[in-house]
Amino acid sequence: MSQTPSPIGLHKQLDAIWRTPPGLARLSSVNHTILGKRFMAMALLFFAIGGLLSMLIRAQLATPNSAFLGPDIYNQIFTMHGTVMMFLFAIPMFEGFAIYMLPKLLGARDLAFPRLTAYGFWCYLFGGSILIIAMLAGVAPNGGWFMYTPLSSKPYTPGINADVWLLGITFVEISAVTAAIELFVTILKMRAPGMALTRMPLFAWYMLVTAGMMIIGFPPLILGSILLEMERAFDLPFFDPTRGGDPLLWQHLFWLFGHPEVYIIFLPAAGALSTIIPVFAQRPILGYRAIVAAIVAMAFLSFGLWVHHMFTVGIPHLALAFFSAASALVAIPTAVQIFAWIGTLASGKPRWDIPMLYVFGFFLVFVCGGLTGVMLAMVPFNTQAHDSYFVVAHLHYVLVGGFVFPMLAAIYYWLPHISGRQSLYRLSIPAFWLILIGFNLTFFLMHLTGLMGMPRRISTYPSNWGWDWLNLLSSVGGFILTMGFALVLADMVLQFRFGARFRRDPWQSGTLEWATATPPPSYNFAAIPHIDTRADQLRPARIGPTLAGGDGYLGFARNGEQETLAVDMMSGDAEQLIVLPRRSYLPLWTAMATASFFLALLFKLYWLAPFGALATLVLFLCWPIGLGSKSDRGPIDIGRGLAVPPDVEAPDNVTVLANRTALVMNGTLFTSLLFGGLFLLVIAPGWQGSSAPALPLWAGALAVVASLSAAGASAMAAHRPGSVLPLRAGLVAAIALQVLALTLMALSMGTLGDPTGHARQAVPFVTLGYAALHCGLGAIMAAHALWRHAQGYVSAHRRTELVLARLWNGYAGGVVVLALGLVALLGLNGVAP
Amino acid sequence: MPLVRLVAGFVIWSAGFVVLYAVQALGCAYGWGDWHRPVLVGLYLLALAPLFWLALPARAGAAEGPLHFAALWANRAALLAAVLIFMPVTFASLCV
Repeated sequence: MSQTPSPIGLHKQLDAIWRTPPGLARLSSVNHTILGKRFMAMALLFFAIGGLLSMLIRAQLATPNSAFLGPDIYNQIFTMHGTVMMFLFAIPMFEGFAIYMLPKLLGARDLAFPRLTAYGFWCYLFGGSILIIAMLAGVAPNGGWFMYTPLSSKPYTPGINADVWLLGITFVEISAVTAAIELFVTILKMRAPGMALTRMPLFAWYMLVTAGMMIIGFPPLILGSILLEMERAFDLPFFDPTRGGDPLLWQHLFWLFGHPEVYIIFLPAAGALSTIIPVFAQRPILGYRAIVAAIVAMAFLSFGLWVHHMFTVGIPHLALAFFSAASALVAIPTAVQIFAWIGTLASGKPRWDIPMLYVFGFFLVFVCGGLTGVMLAMVPFNTQAHDSYFVVAHLHYVLVGGFVFPMLAAIYYWLPHISGRQSLYRLSIPAFWLILIGFNLTFFLMHLTGLMGMPRRISTYPSNWGWDWLNLLSSVGGFILTMGFALVLADMVLQFRFGARFRRDPWQSGTLEWATATPPPSYNFAAIPHIDTRADQLRPARIGPTLAGGDGYLGFARNGEQETLAVDMMSGDAEQLIVLPRRSYLPLWTAMATASFFLALLFKLYWLAPFGALATLVLFLCWPIGLGSKSDRGPIDIGRGLAVPPDVEAPDNVTVLANRTALVMNGTLFTSLLFGGLFLLVIAPGWQGSSAPALPLWAGALAVVASLSAAGASAMAAHRPGSVLPLRAGLVAAIALQVLALTLMALSMGTLGDPTGHARQAVPFVTLGYAALHCGLGAIMAAHALWRHAQGYVSAHRRTELVLARLWNGYAGGVVVLALGLVALLGLNGVAP
Repeated sequence: MPLVRLVAGFVIWSAGFVVLYAVQALGCAYGWGDWHRPVLVGLYLLALAPLFWLALPARAGAAEGPLHFAALWANRAALLAAVLIFMPVTFASLCV
C-alpha cells in the first residue's frame, strides 16, 4: 500500500483476488457479474422454450377442429408456457439483471452474500430443469399455471404432473427469496460512501421496493404449494371441501402472491426505463421524488387487488367493491410514472436510438394493457370477460408491454456493458418492427375473440362461431413475433462477434455502472468512489479512469481479501469494512442436497427426504467455517483518510439485517398459515359438528414457557458477550429449552386426532409442526453461536452469532405462542353457523 | 426513521384493509346483524385518523428529513386510497 501501483498493476493485483479461474473451477464462482450473466442466459433459454410452446399453442388454435396436439398435450403445453414465462423467465431475468447491475450502479464490488447468489442460481437451474425434463417425459403440469384446486388435487390429477409444478416451482422460488433478501440488504447497506438514499439512482429505488414486495409476496405461494403438496402426498385436507377444506383458500394464497407478482415483474422494468429515458432525453428525470412516492404507493396497492382474480367466485358486494376500487386506483401511481417519463422526453432533447424504439413500443403496448386492466377492475365487465381470451389479451399486453419491451430496451442499452462492443444496428430496426407488429396482430385480436365469447384454455373450437379468421390472424402474428425475437437473438450474437469496441460510457449516461471498464473486471471498481451528488447525474467517463488508478476508497489490494464497504442506510456514510467470502463449491453441494430433498418428495421416496433436508442443513452450517475473525481488529484504513471497523465488529452489519429480513419473510409465511386456519374456520363448509383438536393444556403451557425462556436466555447471552460463563450458560439453556419445547410440540401433534380426517385437525397439525421446526432452528442457532464462541470467533465486539441466536429464538418463542393460540381457537366451539 | 415515514401511511392503509376485510367476513359468518355496519364504519374512521395526521404538511420550523417530500405524498396517497377504497363500508351490501 505504501507504493501506489499503476492502474494495470492494481488491476492485476485485484483480479488475482477476485477472479474465477477457468475450467471446472467455474462451478465454484460466487462473483455477481458471472452469476448475473448466468441467470440472464438461463432466463433467455427458458424464454426461448416458452416461446416455442406458444408457437405450438398458436399452431393448434390457427384453425378450427384442429387435431394437431390433442387436449392432453395441449393442457401441458399451455400450463408450461405460463409457468415457464412467469417463473423461469420473467422473475429470474430481472433477478439476474439486478444481480449483475446493482453493485455496479451502487459502487460496490459485489453483493452482500456472494455464496447465496450462487446457491440461488443452482436452485433455479435444478428446479427449472425438473420442470423441463418432466415436460419432455410427458408428465408436465397440466392444470393451468395457477394450479387451481380441486383440479390439481389428487383425485383429478392423480399423476405427478401437479407435484412437478408444486415442487419444481418451490425449488425455483428459493432463488427468488434469496435474491430478494440479498438485493434488499445490498441496496440499503452497500452503496458507495456519500450515496445517501435520496441520491440513489431510481433503478435502485425500484429494486429496493421490488425486493420488499418479494419478501412479503412470495411466502403465501410457498405456503400454498407446501399445503397442496401435503394434501396430495399425505392426504391432509386443506383444500378438500368434503373434509373441512376449501378450494378458495388456494385461490387466496395463490393470488396474494400472483397479483403483486405482476408489479414485481413490472417495477424492475420501470426502473430500467427510468434509467434509459433520461439518457436519451438528455436531461435528468422529471419528478424523482414523486416517482419514489408512486413506487411506494404502487407496491402497497398491488397487495390490495388479489381478489379481482376471484370476482366470479361468489363474494359479497362490499368485498367486491374494496378490490374493484383498489384495482382501479393502482392506475394512478402507474400514471404518475408514465407522465414523468413523457414529461422527461418532452422537456429534453430526445435522440432516437434502438433502446428508444422499444421504449416507444412499451408506451404503446403497456398503456393499452393498463386501460384494459381498468376495464377488468370493474366487476360487471369482469364478470362478462372472465376466463375469456380478453383476459389473455390483457395479461399479455401488461406483461409483454410492461416487461418484455423494457427488457429489450435494456438489452440494447446494457448489452454493450457485458460484451464491451456496440450494436451493429442492421438487424435491430427490422427486429423491432416485426416484434411490434407481430405482437399487436397476435394479441389485439384476442380482445375481439374474447368479447365474442371464446374461453381461454380450450384446445379447439368449432368453425361456425365466428372465431376462425381472428384466430388464424393471431397465429400469423405469433409467427411474425417469433421472427422478430429470432432477429434480436441474431443481433445479440453478431454484437458479441462483430460489434465495434468502445472505451467507456457509449451513451453519455449519468450512472456509475458505465464507470467500470467494459466488459467489467471481476472486482468492478479498483477504488470505490465517493458520491457527492445524485447518482444518476454523474460523469462516468471522467470518473472511471480516476477509479481505475486507485483514487478512492479501498484503492489497493490487501491481505488477499475481497474487501468492500458498508454504509449507513440513510446518509450513506462509510460505516464498516466487509470482507466477502471467496469462491467455493459449497453453494453447489448445498443446492444438490436441496435437490435430493425435492426429488425424493417428487418420486415419493418420503423416507429419503429428511436425509436431503438434513444434508442441506449440515452443508449450510459449513458455510461460515473459516469466515469471520478470531481477534478484534478495530478501525481499519479504507483510504481517503478514513478508518472503519470490520463488519463483524459492528452490531448492525449486513448479516444481522439479512436475518431480520429473512424473519420478516418467514413471519409472512406464518401469518399466511394463521390466515388459512382462520379462513377455514370462518368460511369453509363442514366445520359444524366436526371434532375439535385435542391439545393437552399442560403440554401447550409448558412449551410456551420453555420457548419463551429460551428466547430470554439467548437474549441474556447476547447482552453479555464479554462474560464467558453467563454467555455459555445462556446458550446451553436456550438449546435445552428449545429441545424441550420441540418435544412437547411433537407430542402435542400426536394427540390432536387424525389430521387426514378433517381440516380442523390438519391445520393445528401443520401449525404445531411449523412451531416445532422453529424451536429446532432456535436450538441450532444457539448451538452455532456456542460453537463459534468456543472457536474464538465471538467476543464483546464480535457478537453477530449471538444476535442471530437471539433473533431466531425470539421468533421461535413468538411462533409457539401464536401457534398454540390458533390451535386453542380452533378447539373452541365457535364454528361459524 | 425517514424510511419508516415513507411507508407509514401505506402500512396503516394495509392494516385497515386487512382488518376491514376480516371484520366483514366475521360479521357475516357469525351473524352480527345490525351491529355489523356501524362496526365497519367505526373502523373506517379509525383508520382514517392517523392517515389525516400523516398527510398534514410539516409544522413551520420543523426540520424536514431527506425523504420529506416523497414521504408526504406517499402518505397523502395512502389517505386518498383509504378514503376511496374503504368507503363502500358505508353503503355496499355486507354479506350478499
